[in-house]
Amino acid sequence: MMPIILNTENLNKKFGGVSAVFDTTIQVEDKKLTAIIGPNGAGKTTFFNLVTGRLRPTSGKVFYKGHDITHSSPHKLAQIGICRTFQINSLFLGLTVFENVRLAKQAKVGGSYKVFSLRKNLKDVNEGARTVLEEVGLQDKGSVIVSKLSYGDQRALELGIALACEPKVMLLDEPTAGMSQGETERLTNLIKELANSRAIVLVEHDVEMVMAISDNISVMNQGKIIAEGPPEEIRKNHLVREAYLGEED
Amino acid sequence: MNIEKSREQHVRSKENAIKYGFWLLLMFFLTLLPFLLPNPFYMRLVTELFIYGLLAMSLDVLLGYTGLLSFMHAAYMGIGAYSVGIFLTYVEIPPSLWLSFPLGVGIVLLIALPVGWLQVRTGGFAFALLTIAFGMMYYTLVWKSRDITGGDDGMIGIPKPDITIGNWSLGSTGDPLIMYYFTLFVVLICFLVTRRIIQSPFGAVLEGIRENEERASFIGYNIRRFKLLGWLLACCLAGVCGVLFTYLKGSVSPTMMDATAGGAVLMMTLLGGLGTLWGPFLGAALFIFGQDFISTLTEHWMVFMGLAVMLLVLFMPKGIGGMINQFLEKRQSTKGE
Amino acid sequence: MQGEVVFWVQSGLNCLVLGGLLLLIAIGLNIIYGISRVINLAHASLYALGAYFGYTLVTTGINFFLAILIAPIMVAALGAVIERVIIEPTRERPMVYSLILTYGLMVFMDGMLKYIWGDAIHFVEVPAVLSQSISIAGIPYPFYRVFILIVCVVVMIGLALLLEKTKLGMAMRAASNIPEMVSGLGINMKLIHVSVFALGCMLAGIGGIIAGPLFTVYPMMGGEMLISCFVVLVIGGLGSLKGVTISALLVGAVQTLGFIFITDYAMVVVYVMMAIILIFMPRGIVGEGKFE
Repeated sequence: MMPIILNTENLNKKFGGVSAVFDTTIQVEDKKLTAIIGPNGAGKTTFFNLVTGRLRPTSGKVFYKGHDITHSSPHKLAQIGICRTFQINSLFLGLTVFENVRLAKQAKVGGSYKVFSLRKNLKDVNEGARTVLEEVGLQDKGSVIVSKLSYGDQRALELGIALACEPKVMLLDEPTAGMSQGETERLTNLIKELANSRAIVLVEHDVEMVMAISDNISVMNQGKIIAEGPPEEIRKNHLVREAYLGEED
Repeated sequence: MNIEKSREQHVRSKENAIKYGFWLLLMFFLTLLPFLLPNPFYMRLVTELFIYGLLAMSLDVLLGYTGLLSFMHAAYMGIGAYSVGIFLTYVEIPPSLWLSFPLGVGIVLLIALPVGWLQVRTGGFAFALLTIAFGMMYYTLVWKSRDITGGDDGMIGIPKPDITIGNWSLGSTGDPLIMYYFTLFVVLICFLVTRRIIQSPFGAVLEGIRENEERASFIGYNIRRFKLLGWLLACCLAGVCGVLFTYLKGSVSPTMMDATAGGAVLMMTLLGGLGTLWGPFLGAALFIFGQDFISTLTEHWMVFMGLAVMLLVLFMPKGIGGMINQFLEKRQSTKGE
Repeated sequence: MQGEVVFWVQSGLNCLVLGGLLLLIAIGLNIIYGISRVINLAHASLYALGAYFGYTLVTTGINFFLAILIAPIMVAALGAVIERVIIEPTRERPMVYSLILTYGLMVFMDGMLKYIWGDAIHFVEVPAVLSQSISIAGIPYPFYRVFILIVCVVVMIGLALLLEKTKLGMAMRAASNIPEMVSGLGINMKLIHVSVFALGCMLAGIGGIIAGPLFTVYPMMGGEMLISCFVVLVIGGLGSLKGVTISALLVGAVQTLGFIFITDYAMVVVYVMMAIILIFMPRGIVGEGKFE
């Protein structure tokens, strides 16, 4: 078992009187792929938002490498190595593909206060950005304006931006949503590979894909975790089957 | 691959040469202009255009590049103008450029810093509302402080300092010719410096915030801090405009910082083109001449201005500068094939 | 009766009247923003338009009470046109654009008001039954202002009924919570957007026509009302009828009393209130949504 890099303790989020996330304790191993699955409205994205600083928990804590990060702001989290992608693309639409990734790389590598330098002179940043583009397969589309990209490419860029931040933990919110079979395969392989060098937490609807690549799976339903374990155990778990009754594709 | 690259570079360097040539020609023309129009009235008019062009450009930094909307940006020009006006009028020393200029800009920054710090905690419309709230507070303060600022009547007869380097005087800011070149010089420097900043990695962050504030935050940028810096840059430039204005006119009045003025600057920037930096200069010229022209035909020029804004947003959101950029880019891409 | 008591009761009532008017106008804005996510900077200009329509209707001999029904409908109709022609095309774009757009609309409309009706202040004649003075516990008070309050209450009740009981109202409320699902349910979003906008404009128009006789009708009336409106909205928060009501009464009180005691600085107090709420309590005092 790898060291626990990210964990939550009794995380709670209430909206009005409704508990979106209830008493959730999850442990994420480093350099492993942890997936969170569950029916619609189970609280998966809310959980993500709590862990990545987008929402304030009603109670409970979040820890990163043992440090309490419960109330940290998103930009601080990104700086210490926790990056996420969004289910609905959150890109810099008016800028080029290269600039999207370059910006993320610059946030990590530095140079943002160099008011009199030229962007093209930040060699490390530019090199790093080019490498990321190659990793996600967008190296030929560097000068394309993002709003003109195909959906599949945009989704790849979504991942690329997070990747450029050199995260130690990557939280991916339905990364293959809306992609074709071929694109999904390509992205899945990439994600699997990335899990070798960092912790990946994945929220997904594609149960088969999740079963194939995950090391650990947590199943959420109605804000609670109802099952945890490696894929084979989850597959046999009857609570999980119940929760998914009628939801299987 | 190599052949394509060098051809692309060839085309690009040709385009750049044309661009540089154009700007050089423009600078040449502007430098000669006072001799083509030796009338001091026209010199002052063009000088005023430079100043408002810079003001519109500063709003472009705020809105076109950082994505923050302000309806009362003219207020900061007003603060700069009044600061200099009050200093030159009441402080009993020979009028000094080297003291009054930094003072004017300094006071603007002094006020813009805490206000900006408070404002950038919000975004979007809340930010815009706050600019109105603070802008109206400044206006009321100026308007009510009759004893110092002259209230509604403003201040006139403000002394004009000489432009000195060491003990050597280049002339007085009261001299239309001298003031013309001085303003051209200052505005040019401001433009070039700002352009450099915008093109820098820092400028890239501002653009990122404009495009997608949330994502910029999630990749590790402290967006409040960067918004504040963008804001300070814009206000600093506005302050410079205020200082130059007071030197030029020798008078200030509250109307330069009221709601109408705030709207006018916005229109200039919009007309000229958001996100172009040079466009707003064109926009300022068009606005001022347009306003003058339409005023001769009808007193209801505001109707046209409102209509113009609507049409711009609906059909030409990138303004005239943006259209020109688009046109040039299209030519470049078809040429490259 | 003691002069002071008279003064305070009258002032208190004046606070209520202004508060009621502010509520009427601000609610329209609130609804439009809550359901369509549109901020219309020209909203107060539509209020002014309602006043001008009222003035014209009355001076051409139409019964005042009838005018109160007609003018808002005219404003609502114009609102529908504005929504289709101007607002709809910019719906997908960043908010900055729609703000600038409606700002242009405001400038245009205020300019047109001046162009069509001229610079002068217009007085609106109200029927004799309204213009008398009544006695409230021995204190004299113009009945017309009480009438304004009555109209406000009636309209608020009508609005509540519309939103709670009618199909359209329920569709509107659903749209404010889950816009994506609503279109999935087969509810015509376009119809919702137009209806909501027209409704908001109608409310502003009602506010305008009843305010006309009180404030007189003049070109700047929209501009002066605009900022107060937004202050109400900001302080009250979004999505909360209760919040807007409290806020409207608060701002009405501050403005009324402010004008009595510190005239020139009255609006500064209002601005400061708004700034404080915007910076430190972006949800307003009661509201749920963040004002962004």
